[in-house]
Amino acid sequence: MEIIIEEISRGHKLLGRHKFAKQSINVGRGYHSDIILSDPHVCAEHLSIEFDGDNWLIADQDSINGCFLDDGNKPANGHIVRSGDVITLGKSQIRVVFPHHPVETSITLSPFENLINLTKHPVALFVNIALFAIITGWMFFLNNPKEVTFTQLFVPSIGLTLMFAIWPASVALISHLTKHDARIFTQLGLCFVFYNLTWFSDFIEALVKFNTSSQFPLTALLALLPISIAFCLFWLNCYVGFHMSGKRRTVVAVCLTTLLFGGSFLIEMSKKPDFSIRPHFNSTLLTPSFMFAKSSSVDEFIENSNELFSKAKKAAKEDE
Amino acid sequence: MKGLISLLLVLVCNISVAVEQAETIFKQHAPSLYQIRLIDKASGEKSSIGSGFQISSDGLIATNYHVISSYARHPEKYRIEFLDHQGKKAHLELKSIDVINDLALVKRDVEQEMPFFTIANSVPTKGEELYSLGNPHDLGMIVVPGTYNGLKKESFNDRIHFTGSVNSGMSGGPVVNKNSDVVGINVATSGNQIGFLVPHDKLLALVKVYNEQNNLTIDQQMEQQLNQYQKNLIGTLLKSNWPLRKLGEGMIPMIDVPFIRCWGESNADKSDALVMLAVANCSLEENTYISGNFFTGALEMEFRYMQAKKLSDVKFYQLFQRQIARVMPGNKAGKDDVTEFQCQHDIVMPENQLINNKAILCTRAYKDFNDLYDVLYLGISIDRDDQAFISHFTLAGVAQNSAQAFTSKFMESVSWK
Repeated sequence: MEIIIEEISRGHKLLGRHKFAKQSINVGRGYHSDIILSDPHVCAEHLSIEFDGDNWLIADQDSINGCFLDDGNKPANGHIVRSGDVITLGKSQIRVVFPHHPVETSITLSPFENLINLTKHPVALFVNIALFAIITGWMFFLNNPKEVTFTQLFVPSIGLTLMFAIWPASVALISHLTKHDARIFTQLGLCFVFYNLTWFSDFIEALVKFNTSSQFPLTALLALLPISIAFCLFWLNCYVGFHMSGKRRTVVAVCLTTLLFGGSFLIEMSKKPDFSIRPHFNSTLLTPSFMFAKSSSVDEFIENSNELFSKAKKAAKEDE
Repeated sequence: MKGLISLLLVLVCNISVAVEQAETIFKQHAPSLYQIRLIDKASGEKSSIGSGFQISSDGLIATNYHVISSYARHPEKYRIEFLDHQGKKAHLELKSIDVINDLALVKRDVEQEMPFFTIANSVPTKGEELYSLGNPHDLGMIVVPGTYNGLKKESFNDRIHFTGSVNSGMSGGPVVNKNSDVVGINVATSGNQIGFLVPHDKLLALVKVYNEQNNLTIDQQMEQQLNQYQKNLIGTLLKSNWPLRKLGEGMIPMIDVPFIRCWGESNADKSDALVMLAVANCSLEENTYISGNFFTGALEMEFRYMQAKKLSDVKFYQLFQRQIARVMPGNKAGKDDVTEFQCQHDIVMPENQLINNKAILCTRAYKDFNDLYDVLYLGISIDRDDQAFISHFTLAGVAQNSAQAFTSKFMESVSWK
């Protein structure tokens, strides 16, 4: 009769797995034991698991700290083992499984697994990071009203690139600490692909805002673009870095996205004064070559302003 | 030499005559002159002071609107008091206002008929000797001699240009001629020896309306006056010629009326500037004071022509965008007076098809006065790679139809050369 004993951590992470074809297995700190635990709270001969012909039984070897079922206080001595039982001894835990114990259905390899792996390819990685640094530098250049030298652009763009590398590095560190594959290059590659996608979505947003009037009803939907990009990034971060169920991954990604955008929204709200004399309008400008929309006539513009005036009038009435 | 001595003698005589005249006027009218004070009810102290003068035997007193404006806007917070030449204080009641000409009528209780100032029925002649009466800086009643210099030309509302010191605290005091008839009311100063007076006919008109007994509240009077004023002002502007003038490669309208004056500036001296910039600024250099930070009736237009010198078009437009995002209105009215701005924007081409603009129009409504708005317009050319043209105006305290008519005419007038 075969039996499998798994050493697990307190967080139920697998540390080691042993298969035995014996009638009796000893667990303890002593070197003669079948499973040797290094936990100082475990006795040299702590417990044994024995087969009596029908069942496996747990026998405490008069250990100092005893042995218990699961995390609870129920003594395990004399307990008839069922497949999957967890036994606590000292500060360690083991799990006993029989060979017929069912396993979860295999997860199919995601079709974009290959795509994800592509991002860690040295050339792809380099191109993405370089692209990000160049766009960042270019933005600094565009927003600087004075003439700037190359070094003046180089330093902030590299600085910002390094700062943005902190996120994938942290995710990789956390997955390493939780006994998962770190996959730092995959994380880096992924993140920079998505950072660059954000630049692209910014451009799309500017293009739409530049070409549409305030009458255009879908401008608010543009905000969904960066939100969905952030969601995808967080989802993939989880996919690459941790083994978790699809549902849990989605929940984590939603939480992180909410934290990011909800947080910035709250900060914005807290800074907003009770009353602002500054008019807020769409000031997006691109070069004439990006103008595709048809112009309205002055009369149409004035006609539309009727609505504007009635809105202002309504606001005045509401405050009275 | 003889001539010089006689000239000096004449001067001395003139001065002594003027002094004598001033003394008589002052003595004669002291009982009809008052210091008007606004008392803050909560603290019991005066919060602002001005001067006033009695214009009827039954206690009607004329002063400036801005002296009692805080009371007019917040009657629950203040009360109005007068202090007469004998140091007596008593309560005053606000009867009527003319917010455009900065006049107000208040009334005291009288037991018997009192002496009062008569209002002149003719306009003084240029150079005529006038005497301004008032209580500057709470220092006591004084008389200041000065000269009538006609009406201020660059002003939409009539104001007398008076050469003489009008100081704060003298606001609301009368200005009389040799016969002690009131020809104007102290209202403003523009530094040394330049004072401005409200002409006497505005006061006559206000008294006439008051005597006709229409029962409008102070707010209703204000609303009616502001409405009438904006109608006159915008009507006059729209009827005037709008000749076009060149600014850089653009054409800008110059409204051909004396009360709108223009100033210009450019960075042509800065050879290292990335963008060549020329600015023209035209405005109506007067506005109507309502209270605190709340001014209205102003008009301002600004035109900027910009040309990229050593700059890519992408950077030019990016810098340009940052500049326009910082636009602010001139009128710093607060939450109690106006709503927040609402804005609309579109790409607009005028009928002549010479320019394509991104047009932004923002407006906010006045909370206490129906159908009056502040309007802000911004037009930004988006059809040339290395040149940009910004046309901008703000109007304060205008009705919707005036605002729309002005905006339309303005938008049709601005174009490339």
